[in-house]
Amino acid sequence: MFINAAAPRDPNLEKFRMEVREFCQTEIGPEMRRILDLGQHLPKDMHDGWLKALGRKGWLTGHWAKEHGGLGWTPEESAIFRDETDGAAAPWLAPFGVTMVGPVIYTFGTPEQKARHLPGIRKNDVWWCQGYSEPGSGSDLASLKTRAVRDGDDYVVNGQKIWTTLAHWADWIFCLVRTDPDAPKKQQGISFLLIDMKTPGITVRPLITLDLGHHLNEVFFEDVRVPAENLIGEENKGWDYAKFLLAHERVGVAEIGKFGRYLAQLRKLLGETREGGRPLSEDPGFRRRLAELEMNLSTLKAMHADALAQGTPGLISAAALKIRGSELQQAILQTMTDVLGRHGLAYQADALMAGWNGELVGPEESAGILAEHLHRRAATIYGGSSEIQRNIIAKGALGL
Amino acid sequence: MPAFSSEERQLLHDSATEYFADRYGPERALALTRDDGPDGFGRAEWKSYAELGWLGLMLPEDAGGSEGGLTEAAILFAAAGAELAAEPLIPCLVLGAGAVTGLGTEAQQAALEGVAEGEKILGFLHYEPGSGFARDHVETIARPTADGYALTGDKAFSAGAHAADLLVVSARIGGPDGPVGLFLVPGDAGGLHRVPAPALDGRRGAAATLDGVAVSADALLGGTTDDRLAAIDRLLDRAALAVCADMLGAMTKASEITTDYLKTREQFGQKLSSFQVLQHRLVDMRICCEESRAAIHAALTAQDENAPDAAIAAWRAKAETARAARFVGGQGVQLHGGMGMTDDLGIGHYYKRLSVNEALFGDAAWHIDRLAAREDARAAQPAAPEMAGA
Repeated sequence: MFINAAAPRDPNLEKFRMEVREFCQTEIGPEMRRILDLGQHLPKDMHDGWLKALGRKGWLTGHWAKEHGGLGWTPEESAIFRDETDGAAAPWLAPFGVTMVGPVIYTFGTPEQKARHLPGIRKNDVWWCQGYSEPGSGSDLASLKTRAVRDGDDYVVNGQKIWTTLAHWADWIFCLVRTDPDAPKKQQGISFLLIDMKTPGITVRPLITLDLGHHLNEVFFEDVRVPAENLIGEENKGWDYAKFLLAHERVGVAEIGKFGRYLAQLRKLLGETREGGRPLSEDPGFRRRLAELEMNLSTLKAMHADALAQGTPGLISAAALKIRGSELQQAILQTMTDVLGRHGLAYQADALMAGWNGELVGPEESAGILAEHLHRRAATIYGGSSEIQRNIIAKGALGL
Repeated sequence: MPAFSSEERQLLHDSATEYFADRYGPERALALTRDDGPDGFGRAEWKSYAELGWLGLMLPEDAGGSEGGLTEAAILFAAAGAELAAEPLIPCLVLGAGAVTGLGTEAQQAALEGVAEGEKILGFLHYEPGSGFARDHVETIARPTADGYALTGDKAFSAGAHAADLLVVSARIGGPDGPVGLFLVPGDAGGLHRVPAPALDGRRGAAATLDGVAVSADALLGGTTDDRLAAIDRLLDRAALAVCADMLGAMTKASEITTDYLKTREQFGQKLSSFQVLQHRLVDMRICCEESRAAIHAALTAQDENAPDAAIAAWRAKAETARAARFVGGQGVQLHGGMGMTDDLGIGHYYKRLSVNEALFGDAAWHIDRLAAREDARAAQPAAPEMAGA
């Protein structure tokens, strides 16, 4: 069909929207609010406190089916929750447990694995990270080399993962490892392992990014013994589970809910920045750009809603959303950077530490905005680069 | 003018390129800009530039210079940009020294003493928190006193201003409607408060507050209260063009680094450089460099020949080069994938350098607006000859 046949929205959903909005307003205290507004680095204990508060409401995993301890939200309800928490610039909903490994465990895990891991994910008692990419395996993920060799009741893991977000906070990591190097296709010799980060032989090394922040890490495995009971599903079937998970990742990666917040920030910045004594919000060039960005966001939201209305979004719409979402994210941040160009692009990275009391140059939000600009240069790279997403559509939709 | 032959320019290019390739590069730039000390650049490097005659390239012979044009200086700036040199060459030589040379009285030329020798660094404070890129918006006031002026106002972040021994500062003389003059203000003047900070790419500068900074009457450049806005505009056009040269060096290098990386990085069992979509991207990056090179060359020639369209050529060059830099810098990171995001690898530092340079002295959109405004003027006066801008 050309025109989406989905029925009009349920007015009861607005009640839920207001409930989430109110929760964000009351639960995010003034200290955390200030840190979030300035785009400063949120300390782990505060971040953890917020996620645990969501966990107590059941909202952290509201999108899970009731049989797995979720609230069985409809896609619309999930979207409202994301929209409101992102719109309130609430702390990042680290997806590694709740939207990545959680669904893999409840779909493919054993009863023991479910009992052991799902409660910790629902309550955020356990922080997870994702061990996929390797130095030689980025876009070509299936070429990964980290080796797991069965030895009695254990797997012995050797190798290296890279770009591991939050590995320095994580209690557990889910990893793709090679269990059969001789499989006829490289996708066939991969397994999916859950590994306790406290296991001897694991080393985490920080990777400092362009914004001078520590978000990413390298994780090294040296003779790490992992109990075989931590294998998900069948040995050498890990790629199937990874593909299942990648589709989840792509939809979440766009973080569209945040963009409205960015635009509000841009509007504020345009009003407060003067050129020749007049606010930039009066500048025809910036007015036009702002209107275009608003238009792009509205279209992206409509695409997202249509994709959700189909139930599980197909690989194609997930890829298209990832491409357009990451492009729009960069376009908005670039526009903010162009405004800050009027202040000479001073970048006081120290100001991103909560409690910094040095002397400020330019608007107080600059460091946070510029850090986000630099950090999101990776939006078109992580979660499958824009080039890879286009390949997916070329093969999957156009049959090329 | 020009004092340099083609052979001399080639020689300058060769020696500058060799110097920066051997002695500089992203690692050295990082070590200098991340240093805890107050400078954030290399004093030893600055001394070397003096010994090599580079700090006097554009200075008058009397000041120990070789009277070259902006083209000669641009050859140096491009080589410096290619290896991310962190020293404040452009603010000191094009703006600070340029203002004194062009506008100073004979007695004021003494302010240039020590510049060619690397013993004195000049800076320039003109933009203000309320000006944006507009060059005619000055709120700082120079109030006449018994023996000179007292300067009061706020100046926006300006590259190199943190380390300047002597600053050239704009202010309106007498009151908010007075003519704009340029004043020589020592870096240690009472009432001058500088707030140093790094820019996005680590190169340092400072914002400043002037609270009744007292200067003598002979601190006013040129010695008369004529309005200097047109001269400031020309100075900033030259600075913008100088920044284009820095960008050209940086984007050419970024483009080369990325091409080399794609020739070695393998995914899906083949070199990334074998994928046509990536080849075309590299080609577009290269075309951006070539276009910028041509636009900059045309604008430099117009400057050094004092051509009537020199200003317009400079605006065009800045707009073209800034756009090219955005594409080349962005794609440089993108094509490096995750590696491009790391502080360890050079490409990200090129991206940041290009981002800062894009904005310096007016970005692409701002310059295109200037060109559009010129179209308005042309429509209003169909018979008027080509306007030289400011």
